[in-house]
Amino acid sequence: MAKAFRRSGRGADRRYVATLDADEREVVATVMDQVHDLLEPPDAPGTGDAAFDDLVAGLDLGGGPTTPADEGPRDPALDRLLPPAHREDPEAAQEFRRLTEGGLRHRKASALSASATLLRLEDRVTLDADQARSFLTALTDVRLVLGERLGLRTDEDLELLEQVAGSLADDDPLLHALALYDFLTWLQETLADALLRG
Amino acid sequence: MSLAPLTEEVVRPAEDVLPDVPWVTIVWNDPVNLMSYVTYVLQQHFGYGRAKAEKLMMQVHVEGRAVVANGTREAMEADTEALHGYGLWATFQKDA
Repeated sequence: MAKAFRRSGRGADRRYVATLDADEREVVATVMDQVHDLLEPPDAPGTGDAAFDDLVAGLDLGGGPTTPADEGPRDPALDRLLPPAHREDPEAAQEFRRLTEGGLRHRKASALSASATLLRLEDRVTLDADQARSFLTALTDVRLVLGERLGLRTDEDLELLEQVAGSLADDDPLLHALALYDFLTWLQETLADALLRG
Repeated sequence: MSLAPLTEEVVRPAEDVLPDVPWVTIVWNDPVNLMSYVTYVLQQHFGYGRAKAEKLMMQVHVEGRAVVANGTREAMEADTEALHGYGLWATFQKDA
């Protein structure tokens, strides 16, 4: 049973510590890897990493086209990670994307990869302040993609989905995705609360 | 935004954003980002105090959007990029 993030230590020794079992750690690390691959596909030039090729892709968050903005349909999950930056001026939004997307993809992918690596160390997940900040953002990016896959568009959608879930078969993949989403939400909430306290 | 246990603070319009600066950065409500996380990001990125960050966060949650900064176009683009880095749904535009 997972234990929430909490602060420990002071000053330079400040740490954020949670306890997750091996299955929980691997599930979260795997979806972090999948979102990493969505942002920086492993077969793209310069981003190959053999470690990612061996991973289980159970929930397959990474699916869908990952082509750049002007090369055909774009995975809607990418638009949640990298939304249009201007609502009325598509040209300004496109120019912004041209200038920022590469760097944003790389920074997000790095945070996801570093966080997945930390998760795979041991049940007691111990983060320093910088690692905690990266981990918090990595959890956000995973939840954004999972939320998109679950069809969350408004604040009411999650509640509606939870109601529907009651009538689903035990092995329905939607139930697993919802349970994972709820787990990630809980984990992120505890880390955000711990960071807000300092 | 997702509901999260948060009991403090009230909603007031963001009247303390500087006037007469032509570009703004806006954060839009979304169903995934947590209220605590949005507060945390506004504090981290803009250096806002807890009360101001929570006020803006509540404005996003209740009204669907909030102007979180204003300044030059370049500064607003930089804010928008940073907020996208945090996973918030941010845009920049000329102030209406």
